[in-house]
Amino acid sequence: MSETKVLTEFYHLPEYQTLAGYKAKGGYETLPKALKMQPQAIIDEVKASGLRGRGGAGFPTGMKWGFLPKNGEPRYLLCNADEGEPGTFKDRMMMERAPHQLIEGMIISAFAVGSHKGYIYVRGEYVFPIECLNKAIKEAYDAGLLGKNILGSGFDFDLDVYRGAGAYICGEETGMISSLEGLKGQPKLKPPFPAVQGYLRKPTIVNNVETLAAVTYIVKDGAQTYRKHGTEKSAGTKLFSVSGNVAKPGNYEVPLGYPLLDLINKECGGMKPGRKLKAIIPGGSSAPVLTAEECAKANLDYESLAGLGTMLGSGAVIVMDDSQCMVDMLGVLTHFYAHESCGQCTPCREGTGWLNKILHSILEGRGRLQDIDLLVKVADNMKGKTICALSDAAALPVLSFVTKFRDEFEFYVREGRSKVKGTTYAEMHH
Amino acid sequence: MPKCTINGKEVEVKEGSSIIEAMQVSGDRIAHYCWHPGLSVAGVCRLCVVEIEGNPRVQIACNTMVTEGMKINNTSEKVKDTVKWGLDFHLINHPLDCPICDQAGECGLQDQYMEYGKYDPEMAEAKVKKHKVVDLGPTVVLDSERCILCSRCVRFTEEVSKTNELGLFNRGDRTEIGTHDGMPLDNNYSLNTVDICPVGALTSKDFRFRQRVWYLKDGDSVCNGCSTGCNIKVYYNKEGLFRIKPVYNEKVNGHWMCDSGRNAYKFVNREARLLKGVARGVEMAPGAAAKNANEVLKNTAGDAIALVLTAQYTLEEYEAIIKTFVEEFKTKKVFFWINNKETFDSFDGLLSRGDKNPNTKGLLKVMEKHGITATWNDLSAGLANGSIKTVVVAGPENQVVFPEYAERLKELSKAQNLIWMQSGKNEALSALTGNVWIIPMKTFVEKDGTFINYSGLEQKIKKVTTVVSEALTLTEAALLLAGKNLAMPMTAPFMPTNQRPDQVELEHRKKNEFVFRRGSL
Ligand SMILES: Cc1cc2nc3c(=O)[nH]c(=O)nc-3n(C[C@H](O)[C@H](O)[C@H](O)COP(=O)(O)O)c2cc1C
Ligand code: SF4
Ligand code: SF4
Ligand code: SF4
Ligand code: FES
Repeated sequence: MSETKVLTEFYHLPEYQTLAGYKAKGGYETLPKALKMQPQAIIDEVKASGLRGRGGAGFPTGMKWGFLPKNGEPRYLLCNADEGEPGTFKDRMMMERAPHQLIEGMIISAFAVGSHKGYIYVRGEYVFPIECLNKAIKEAYDAGLLGKNILGSGFDFDLDVYRGAGAYICGEETGMISSLEGLKGQPKLKPPFPAVQGYLRKPTIVNNVETLAAVTYIVKDGAQTYRKHGTEKSAGTKLFSVSGNVAKPGNYEVPLGYPLLDLINKECGGMKPGRKLKAIIPGGSSAPVLTAEECAKANLDYESLAGLGTMLGSGAVIVMDDSQCMVDMLGVLTHFYAHESCGQCTPCREGTGWLNKILHSILEGRGRLQDIDLLVKVADNMKGKTICALSDAAALPVLSFVTKFRDEFEFYVREGRSKVKGTTYAEMHH
Repeated sequence: MPKCTINGKEVEVKEGSSIIEAMQVSGDRIAHYCWHPGLSVAGVCRLCVVEIEGNPRVQIACNTMVTEGMKINNTSEKVKDTVKWGLDFHLINHPLDCPICDQAGECGLQDQYMEYGKYDPEMAEAKVKKHKVVDLGPTVVLDSERCILCSRCVRFTEEVSKTNELGLFNRGDRTEIGTHDGMPLDNNYSLNTVDICPVGALTSKDFRFRQRVWYLKDGDSVCNGCSTGCNIKVYYNKEGLFRIKPVYNEKVNGHWMCDSGRNAYKFVNREARLLKGVARGVEMAPGAAAKNANEVLKNTAGDAIALVLTAQYTLEEYEAIIKTFVEEFKTKKVFFWINNKETFDSFDGLLSRGDKNPNTKGLLKVMEKHGITATWNDLSAGLANGSIKTVVVAGPENQVVFPEYAERLKELSKAQNLIWMQSGKNEALSALTGNVWIIPMKTFVEKDGTFINYSGLEQKIKKVTTVVSEALTLTEAALLLAGKNLAMPMTAPFMPTNQRPDQVELEHRKKNEFVFRRGSL
């Protein structure tokens, strides 16, 4: 079992949620040190650490911060706590168990990028995490850790929680900015990128909860110490939310580069008794699926997974055993994406709906063999042709499921029932 | 000024141009629904795809800037296939409405299908049904099913009219446009949304179902609704005029015009027009009535004659009539009838001006040239004390913008002789008895001439069509009033009888003639 717990070492302690409990374990010790550094030195340290965004795209955090214009224009720091990717629930744990960890990370990051105003954008359904954050923010304000002249350093930073109304697309950074601006949660065309023109058209940094929290550890122990975890190109540790047919689903922190099957077999206690691994979606529902054979070769880092044609994404590992019908699984996913497309771009708006209809025709026994190829054609023409990556997110699972488990789709079309379960859609879902 | 290559041709474009703008310069055709030169870039229809050398993925031309040496093409198989699919995505939930759709003949989807389509449809699923005949407000009806969600109309109300009535609601393929909180789409620019809608989703209540567009011809003109002088196209056939749309002019109106201006076609149509002249209660041809009035003018020449002009005629007409009165009838009693004095100088910040005349500047210019200084008070006094005996009026073409018309008519009819020239019918005018002459006039679409707009810009208008052939221009009326004969109009240069001056070149006939002539979407 992995012993590396950079972020989650004290998550089992209930008092860690409070300011006192957090401080007792060394919390807010890094902040004064950071406030005495040159902001650029912090950015350089983050660059040197090799930290990559934990929200899905894995973009190097230090590099993103470097895109900010160098003038003194007001800028914003937004924490992406929307956590909309199906299968992902890691940020929730951090907000509930260690809210101060996120707050400290945000203050340090804000100081580094020169922002005096930050928002944590949380999905509306996360009622309890929002309560935890608000409580912690109040504690931090009372202790002079937020607001004017933080710890006498002359640095001001205000932080608020913004409660979204619950749409997957509000997790996409420009969709989140629109939502925060009070508009419909719809992504914006890029360029301009948020670092140049974001919230209220001002330079804006959007980072994931886990990314921001990791900044504290990088500043505390230095980039080189952080780099001891993980691989050359995928540095540090990462939280993985494992769901599906494993014995112990949950959140696990492991160093990047950790073998995927070790996560399943060691951390999660293996498959449910008597069941065999069939497939894994390694990085949230938008990542292409891996077959059991591919899983054996997969390590949990950006490069290894890219090499297998999939991605680390948000780190949501969705495990399927041999009782799962892939046609049915894909039906769930296409339904989700058809529901969540914001409706702006034609290929996504119409394509997600079309994919979903084709799949449900197959599931309901009205499918034609040519529909399987049609799924591929439609998905191919949605990929890379839209404003945001939701369209790709909808297309990639379709392409991988249909290619890797084509026999199940063909069987379903020919017989009108699931090859794995032997039943029809109506019977599966009574 | 970066240079780039588009489909093999080198073009130089302005710094900061997008590829789609460069293609307007190079004249290359490129499909687009959401891009509109007068609106922000949305990048959502995904039809304007191009291939850029060195870039493995196709890109959209509307949101990609041209850089030095860029090699662009939109004719490769890869681009064609992407556009075909882009069109397919637009069409999968589109209704089969063309036979009853007002846009048929000028529809972006039909055009694209002709260009890239003619393939077997792959959609076998049931279509999403959306709302039909949605009443958006006093001027516009929405058919949601036909809407391709290009968001042009929404951006128009956000960015141009700044009235924000429209929005995109719902998500995925259930997305529809609509008005916020049922607030009606009700502003003086609402019909521009119909113009820019690339499909038949937004239709004008005034125009819908009245004509198939391919039965209409069009001609360019200048709106006479106010002193801005928006450039327009007038659509007509032998049944009359049916609609007016704006034509781009960077210096005047950009891409837009106001809704009030669009009504200008109504007073041109035959049912609104004076057709017969009247001289002392006797009906006669317009020209005969004018000639008949010469008698009384001859006899009252000098300061007993007053000429009242509205600012809705052309510069050339003012020149002819004022010259006639000053030189032939020896009077300088020429008066400018100003409508809605209180709001004359107002401006809505976009296009519409309080001065509801197309040629105030033109009239003032000619009056000044002839040293005219008379004021309306002189006229009122002259009428009251009987020194003014004969009044000649060039009345308004657009009576709607002359709210005090009836009052003025009453005042002016105090004169012993009243000679009234005007294009439109008016009951109070026709009811006058005694020494009254009524002379039917042509309208702005029926003559050539010049308007000078509020900023001093001279704009030529050309005859578009003839509605009442017997009606006179002010120039013709001036001749007849002075007792002269009409000069025979110059014969047009010889043209074989099987040709028309507006002949469309053969190569363009490959496309529907109308589609060719309407310009880009
Ligand atoms: C459809 C869609 C949904 C997304 N949802 C989330 C989300 O819930 N949380 C998140 O952190 N990033 C999400 N992202 C990624 C963000 O756009 C962005 O890349 C990220 O917040 C940047 O932070 P990072 O650099 O720290 O990863 C989403 C992206 C897409 C395309
Ligand atoms: S890709 Fe889909 S979700 Fe993203 S902006 Fe376009 S329509 Fe909206
Ligand atoms: S919008 Fe175009 S394609 Fe659609 S019904 Fe009207 S004419 Fe036909
Ligand atoms: S109504 Fe017309 S202009 Fe408006 S979004 Fe739909 S297609 Fe575009
Ligand atoms: S015109 Fe470029 S995407 Fe619509």
